[in-house]
Amino acid sequence: MNTAPEYMISTDSITKKVTTSEGPLQILQPISFDVKAGETIAIVGASGSGKSTLLGLLAGLDEVSSGKIHLDGAALHTMDEEQRARLRGEKVGFIFQSFMLVQSLTALENVMLPAEIAGLYNPEALANELLEKVGLSHRASHFPNQLSGGEQQRVAIARAFITQPKILFADEPTGNLDAANGEKVEKLLFELNESAHTTLVLVTHDTELADKCERQLLMHAGELTEKQSDSPQAKGDEPQLKAI
Amino acid sequence: MWFNLAWRLFRHEMRRGELTIILAAIVLSVAAVLSLSLFSERLQSALTERTSQFMASDRLIGGRNPLPEEWLLKAQEAGFNTAQSTYMRSMVFANDTMMLADIRAVNENYPLKGDIKVTDTPFGIGVAIDAIPMPGETWVESQMFQTLGLSVGDTIEVGDKPFVITRVLSEVPDAGFSIFNSNPKVLIRKDDLPGTGIVGPGSRAGHYLFLTGEHADLEEYTDWLRPQMDSDVHFIMSVEDDDSWVGNSVRRAEQYFLLASLLAIVLASVAIAVAAQRYSQRHYDPVAIMKTLGASRKMVQRVFLLQIIFITILGIAIGGALGYGIQAAVASAIQERVAVSLQSWYWGPVLIAVFTGVICAILFSLYPLLKLFSVPPLRVLRKDLGAKMSSRIIQFLAAGGAIFLLMWTYSKNLKISAILFSSGIVLVLALLAVTYGLIWLGRRLGKGRMGAWQLAWARIQRRSMDNSVQLISFAVTIMLLLVVLVMRNDMIQQWRDQLPQGTPNYFMANITETQKPQMEQHFAESGVQVEEFYPVVRARFVAVNGERVNTEITKEDEENEVQSNRRDAFGREANLTWSYRLQRENKIVAGQWFSDYQEGEPYGMSVESKTAERLALKLGDVVTFNIGSEVVDVTITSLREVNWQTMQPNFFFVLQPEVMQGFLPTYITSFNLDTERKDEIARLMAPFSTVTLFDVDARINQLREIVDQVSMAVEFILVLVLIAGALVLIAQVQASMDERQQELAILRTLGAKGWLIRASVVFEFVIIGVVAGIMAALANELTLYLLQSQVFQMPGSLHFEYWVIAPVVGAAVVGILGAISCWRLLSLNTSQLLRNMV
Repeated sequence: MNTAPEYMISTDSITKKVTTSEGPLQILQPISFDVKAGETIAIVGASGSGKSTLLGLLAGLDEVSSGKIHLDGAALHTMDEEQRARLRGEKVGFIFQSFMLVQSLTALENVMLPAEIAGLYNPEALANELLEKVGLSHRASHFPNQLSGGEQQRVAIARAFITQPKILFADEPTGNLDAANGEKVEKLLFELNESAHTTLVLVTHDTELADKCERQLLMHAGELTEKQSDSPQAKGDEPQLKAI
Repeated sequence: MWFNLAWRLFRHEMRRGELTIILAAIVLSVAAVLSLSLFSERLQSALTERTSQFMASDRLIGGRNPLPEEWLLKAQEAGFNTAQSTYMRSMVFANDTMMLADIRAVNENYPLKGDIKVTDTPFGIGVAIDAIPMPGETWVESQMFQTLGLSVGDTIEVGDKPFVITRVLSEVPDAGFSIFNSNPKVLIRKDDLPGTGIVGPGSRAGHYLFLTGEHADLEEYTDWLRPQMDSDVHFIMSVEDDDSWVGNSVRRAEQYFLLASLLAIVLASVAIAVAAQRYSQRHYDPVAIMKTLGASRKMVQRVFLLQIIFITILGIAIGGALGYGIQAAVASAIQERVAVSLQSWYWGPVLIAVFTGVICAILFSLYPLLKLFSVPPLRVLRKDLGAKMSSRIIQFLAAGGAIFLLMWTYSKNLKISAILFSSGIVLVLALLAVTYGLIWLGRRLGKGRMGAWQLAWARIQRRSMDNSVQLISFAVTIMLLLVVLVMRNDMIQQWRDQLPQGTPNYFMANITETQKPQMEQHFAESGVQVEEFYPVVRARFVAVNGERVNTEITKEDEENEVQSNRRDAFGREANLTWSYRLQRENKIVAGQWFSDYQEGEPYGMSVESKTAERLALKLGDVVTFNIGSEVVDVTITSLREVNWQTMQPNFFFVLQPEVMQGFLPTYITSFNLDTERKDEIARLMAPFSTVTLFDVDARINQLREIVDQVSMAVEFILVLVLIAGALVLIAQVQASMDERQQELAILRTLGAKGWLIRASVVFEFVIIGVVAGIMAALANELTLYLLQSQVFQMPGSLHFEYWVIAPVVGAAVVGILGAISCWRLLSLNTSQLLRNMV
């Protein structure tokens, strides 16, 4: 495991076990991998393979059963929920498949929310600026259910970037969108990510989206392997899988 | 930051209607509690005012000796209105005849409450007069005019002093309700009393001081007075001590109001509990999102607690205004019938309403909020994750504790609170058992092709825990409504039973054997129905078990209360009657009622139980009476409990008829004559100048008026509680429909026909309504039995009709409300439904 500053995420033999009515179930086999700062990485795999579980652990939304996770040098595995929340507020941004906007807040207020939680100065101005960037300044006072799916996800992207997070986790960001909107959102996500130099970890089924990332990790039955992608950003010549 | 966020969330959610249910619940609870308690406070004050008229004051201080001057001075110093009187029995002489009369010597201020009513002709309709007789004058009751053959302007002698009769006295406010032990009243001035010479050492006079003033001042005065009083000689009476029929009725009504208010609190609590649960569930996502975005647990707590505080403040403000409006509307609607004052203001109900709002909002949302705070951030990825808390013990303890605390604080009556609370617990436990029974039943019935019934059963089974909460809240609501409804019916029925239409308002005594048939015929010709004739013989006690009873007044008797009572009763003559038929409202509590007399057996007698207790008589005692020159021995064979509150002649001693053969009785009877026909009395009674007539028409009218007023007040309270209950039911159905929305959306998306969804939802609500109704009927019986026997001192009764009514009404109301809500949901298109779910 590498905890050097250039690594945004380092994992060492992390596992996740849950107890079910039929006894204990190991969702994740021991997994170890590192993500460099500024890297874009896609976790791909079939439904139920454990992708979202891994994302939850990496983002500090859930606790590992064993192993170690460092996020920007901070030992997530030793933190309690409150400490992890603080860390998320400072360093992490999120984008979800189902947008996860607060229904009773307007688009502008949803974008302001993380800035307010983090206690940033003038969150409204920051939010307006971001809404401008995602092309929704004219919809600032609309509530989520008055926006289309694509618009909602653009609000979510604006919200994700308002605290200038070091790392962004995206769970199927285009999963609920049609092709046109999906493409728009993808474009926006990568543009903003690039300009903000954010580390991006995204979970997706969408191979096209995954191909836009520098690295791809394949999740299968709780095991993670590195996929040597043939995408423009990939370094290898032949697509191949490497166990990690 | 968190304040802004809480305020913003509150503002938007308010506008978007997401807080409507919980806000409505708080508004409802505050409005119901405020309107009910404010209204009942006003009513109680009006009724207390009304009953205080029967005492002619707020407080009455009495004694067998003249009251110390200091007591009067102190009362005047305290700023009370005061009046004084002396009452005693004395012979009145006129036209060479005499008659025992109640002499009432009063001063100018009498009466402080209520009115003296007078007429110009005997048995005429009385008119209130704000005066007392002039010196040397008197006002006497009709009965004396009849017996002594008097006219207005004649002179009577009371002791050594002559008085000129200037008016016919028809009513004094503090006449009391005893019909048979009263002699005609003679009202004179207190200044004239010494001149009569009838009051002196050893005379048995009652001296009274009447007071009116502020309740607290009166309490303070009586606290000062009590240590100086000799309990054998003096007494204090307030409206609360009034043990008369009216006092009991008003007290019972007050307890009913209290009960209704308590039930309103419970209803409100149920409404808030349902709403808070819904509120919590709706906020799972925002909490998960906030936590994911870095909000600490403390921040989440602050934001949502603040939001609850905002809602509570708004709810209390709206509820307070609404509650005030409702009670003001009701009070002004009935103002003509019951003299409720809208002027006076009571802080008690306002405080209790605010307290209720706050306690309900905080304690009933405690568990849902704790649950909300425990929602894990991971829910943003896994929607199936809810709150982490599994135990409901905190919820039950908090909710139960809150309800009990509110009930007890409000009622200050542990018994009534404990009864309602414990029957509520029994109901909840029974309902939990039933819910699990339903799951089992659902498994069996839910099999097979998916029709509306199967869908309904399947849903009940699947949502067993949610349904148990709903079932409990429906059942509690229905039960509370039943309790209030049945109590009202039973209570009003009981009141009306005691004074049915046609209740005799005139009683006649001293009717001879020969007058009896003439009287029946004469009255029948005038269209007046004479009631049963009771034979009466005057007798004097001689001995108990052969031991001679001392009828002389001795010093020892004065010092010994039991002996004194014994002397009082034994010293007087008693009226004996005889019958084989036990009178209405008489109940044998020991021994047996007479069976056919067998030759050689001792003669039997039935004694009223309290009299027996007072005279230390028991079953098997042989009592010797002296009737004229004859001596009669009778054995006590039964003791009876007598309801003295019925307007019929009742007797302390009823003898076996055989023993009285050979004695010539006189008879007493009664009849009813409309007040409008009052002027016919003189004509009716003309042929029977020796018969004594007691006019209790005014008394009966007063009683009936009070019963009507109290009944009407009870009706209004019932309507208020019913409205509150209906609103709670609507809120519950609304809340549970929201929970069903997701399922309906899925069914709709999958192409289920509208009628199938509608029918299945209606069936589901009907099933829940029926079960809630049955359980409510069961809990209702238990609660009513406890309330009636322990609190209202009424005979407990079963109410089988409600075993049918409750489930039918439960099914109908809950089913219809469910259908209406379902219609509203299904009128949205599927995409709207799905969007609303997010």
